[in-house]
Amino acid sequence: MTIDMSQFYQVFFEESAEHLAAMEGLLLGLDIENPDSEQLNAIFRAAHSIKGSAGTFGFTDLAETTHILENLLDRIRKQELGLRADMVDAFLESGDLLRGMLEAHQGRGEVAPSQVEAICSRLRQLSADQVAPAVSESVAACGDVSGVQPAAGAKRIFDIQFVPTDVSARGGGVANFLDELRSLGALEILNQPASDMNNVGYWQLRLVTESEQEEFSDQIDFIAENSAWRVVEESMGNDDSGVFGIFGDSPGAPEEDQGYGFFAPLDSVVNSVAAAQGDSADDQSYGFFDPLPRGANSPLPVAEVLSDDSDGYGFFAPLPSPAPALSLAEEGEGFGFFAPIAPVAAPETPVSSVVSPPSPSVQVPADKKTSEPVARVAKPATQSAAAGDSSIRVSVEKVDQLINLVGELVITQAMLLQTAGQIQQGAPERLINGLAQLERNTRDLQESVMSIRMMQISFVFSRFPRVVRDLSGKLGKQVELKTSGETTELDKGLIERIADPLTHLIRNSLDHGIELPETRVAAGKNPIGTITLKAYHQGGNVVIEVGDDGAGLPRNKILAKARERGLPVSDQMTDAEVFSLIFEAGFSTADQVTDVSGRGVGMDVVRRNIQSMGGRVEIESMVGVGTRMTVRLPLTLAILDGMSIAVGDQTYILPLSYVMESFQPQIGDIKTLSNQARVIQVRGEYLPVVVLHELFNIKSRSSDFTQGIMVVINADGITAALFVDALVGQHQVVIKSLEANYRRVQGISGATIMGDGHVALILDVSAIAGMAKTNMQKAG
Amino acid sequence: MEAMTHGGSANDEDLVASEYLTFTLGSEEYAIDILKVQEIRGYEQPTLIANAPPFIKGVINLRGIIVPIVDLRIKFNLGKIEYTPFTVVIILNVAGRVIGAVVDSVSDVFSLTRAQIRPAPDFSGTFDTKYILGLATVDTRMMIVTDIERLMTSADMALIDSASE
Repeated sequence: MTIDMSQFYQVFFEESAEHLAAMEGLLLGLDIENPDSEQLNAIFRAAHSIKGSAGTFGFTDLAETTHILENLLDRIRKQELGLRADMVDAFLESGDLLRGMLEAHQGRGEVAPSQVEAICSRLRQLSADQVAPAVSESVAACGDVSGVQPAAGAKRIFDIQFVPTDVSARGGGVANFLDELRSLGALEILNQPASDMNNVGYWQLRLVTESEQEEFSDQIDFIAENSAWRVVEESMGNDDSGVFGIFGDSPGAPEEDQGYGFFAPLDSVVNSVAAAQGDSADDQSYGFFDPLPRGANSPLPVAEVLSDDSDGYGFFAPLPSPAPALSLAEEGEGFGFFAPIAPVAAPETPVSSVVSPPSPSVQVPADKKTSEPVARVAKPATQSAAAGDSSIRVSVEKVDQLINLVGELVITQAMLLQTAGQIQQGAPERLINGLAQLERNTRDLQESVMSIRMMQISFVFSRFPRVVRDLSGKLGKQVELKTSGETTELDKGLIERIADPLTHLIRNSLDHGIELPETRVAAGKNPIGTITLKAYHQGGNVVIEVGDDGAGLPRNKILAKARERGLPVSDQMTDAEVFSLIFEAGFSTADQVTDVSGRGVGMDVVRRNIQSMGGRVEIESMVGVGTRMTVRLPLTLAILDGMSIAVGDQTYILPLSYVMESFQPQIGDIKTLSNQARVIQVRGEYLPVVVLHELFNIKSRSSDFTQGIMVVINADGITAALFVDALVGQHQVVIKSLEANYRRVQGISGATIMGDGHVALILDVSAIAGMAKTNMQKAG
Repeated sequence: MEAMTHGGSANDEDLVASEYLTFTLGSEEYAIDILKVQEIRGYEQPTLIANAPPFIKGVINLRGIIVPIVDLRIKFNLGKIEYTPFTVVIILNVAGRVIGAVVDSVSDVFSLTRAQIRPAPDFSGTFDTKYILGLATVDTRMMIVTDIERLMTSADMALIDSASE
């Protein structure tokens, strides 16, 4: 039976990329002085997951590199090593390398083996730097539990229980394992299956050894199912205190390989919290319930289950301690397993356990005092568990198909409504009601379908802390990145396309905006510059602002540079016009070209990209105070708020975001320039007039300006007045491509289908404004 | 002629018959590969496209798809240019695009073998011979077998951006 693994590769690539992204985000968020153990664990988990799946899919290079990374991370999270800034750097770099390797496996780019080697050796060195076996806090806390982390070289007793799989039992796996154990120390077989069982059955061994548990725990994994084995380290000479089954805190305890949740029966609440935190910290923790120890002196086992992580499931520790113990299951994908309660359980020990599979938070009978926190803490856990379970991966194509179909439905519904309205003597009331209902439902349906494609902008923002960190280091600047509005939602298509322009704007702010610390201090500013990244909704747009408190744009320098390049500029130009010069191709005011920016390519690309998304970018700047670039994007590429206008017998759609105002011109308002270009004065400003029916060569109802409407449009900083016959109404229109079956038409950006089933063309306002400008330039 | 009989010397490929849809433009009858035809529908007033050549009538909404309409009568200067409820639009599916072509009428579907399609004599005219696969005769009717895909994607039709010849 061979399984073609390649069919799962894509999933692996996607997942690994997500893990890497998560890891990077967490690394950047780490407080180096005082790292949060939760975050360290999460980073470790991410690395561990990549290693695990890379191994499964046979990407050994990935698995090996991640393994080294994971080792170092493991030691840090166990506080054997202190976290240092250079470690974070190394982690980030290895993250980059892993991403490169992932891409290389997908056939994009290559990773030089020397790079891999360099990172690996760096990580190894970091790992070797501080070998002093710092005793972790949790160990210290559990010290009185004893035996948790015996000094190296001390004899340790492991109680090993397992039920081998049929295959391994018959295939000699068990025998090999026993030999292996014998080589490690004194092995005593407490229980073994009857000889006629072919080794299949319950084994219980007792091993006295100096070795670490991981030296044999791997092997058990091979011969027994995940849930069918257990290793308990017994503390020597401490048995009588009822301590039983303490696991995990020894370095590289079973946590390494799909850790299983272990429970330390503990003497006090404090201890148990600390220990459990260390113990069950793992990827896939399987909760085991330790059978109550023999001779447990009938305690009142109140286990409080705190699942404080994504898929954390309840864990139990029936504890011999008289005090209620908190077992913190902090990990993902734990599954509650219930080991049979040992027969010695005291009668008054109400360890009844309930597992509800979908949200397996385990209810533990607890006294009133403790049940409250249980309820409080368990709730978020189940919520997040539900969130994790309820997301599915769907190809974008399918979603787009759905969106298209809903678009059709909206049009059909509008057609029906219109037809009903045209029925003589009025349509039956039931029909009207039904149609109204249909309209509501279609609108709801459309909204929810559109929301499928919506993603939070944090998807893009999350990469910028890294960009800022790397770049500020390179430039010797101190920069703080502040983001807000990460939850603003934007169409997936836009999210993907906005990333590059935004990165560029941020790099630009860093390089040109924020000054060097000395300069800033000299200017009386905080030496640490601030870049703000803000996203919010405004009207039908998503606005993304990239601001800095840097030097601001030097107006004179830009003007001088523009003259140098022979651009038509004058000192009378408004600031907005001057600043928009930096979007011209090849324009750069940087005195020297750095590898960050200054080549003059970039800002023009930024503007082009943003425009191609139907958005625009504006600059505000004040010398010495800072610069703010505002990117306005439509919410989605598929739907547009439009104003329908009539010219002759044709209807056109004008994207509402470009419309400033409209008015009816009076006689004499319109003047000509050189008898060619027409201008109209609007509040003291002369605007070029674009006559749509002339532009499109169609018959207008009248060529008398006073009979029509002037619509003032603004695109790319150009304001123009568009003359049309009439305004018809305002619609949300579904954008259809004209180019799919036809070709690009000058002045038209797309098409849509109106309620009556007819096609209406959507005006390309940027192009029209551009035409107005060239007309003026020809005339002027 | 020998339209309905098969020449004994014809090879297998010549014997494979394909279906052709025939339509008329003025007095001329054209045949196009029926597999390129998506559907036939009545003419409806399309939405004008600004500054388009006169034979491009505009675009229509074909169940949510924006489809350009080409009037072949104007393009080839054939027939009376009038739009009645009986004016026919052949919706073509060529080169991954959907295009509507206005014709005078749709007449028949014929099965023609390669052998029945005779090379057209070289002639110069509005209808470039490079779009003509050949001439076929059924009974007494002569049909111009047209490579509609090549015609519609040609730069002449100005239907596609940067059309490559």
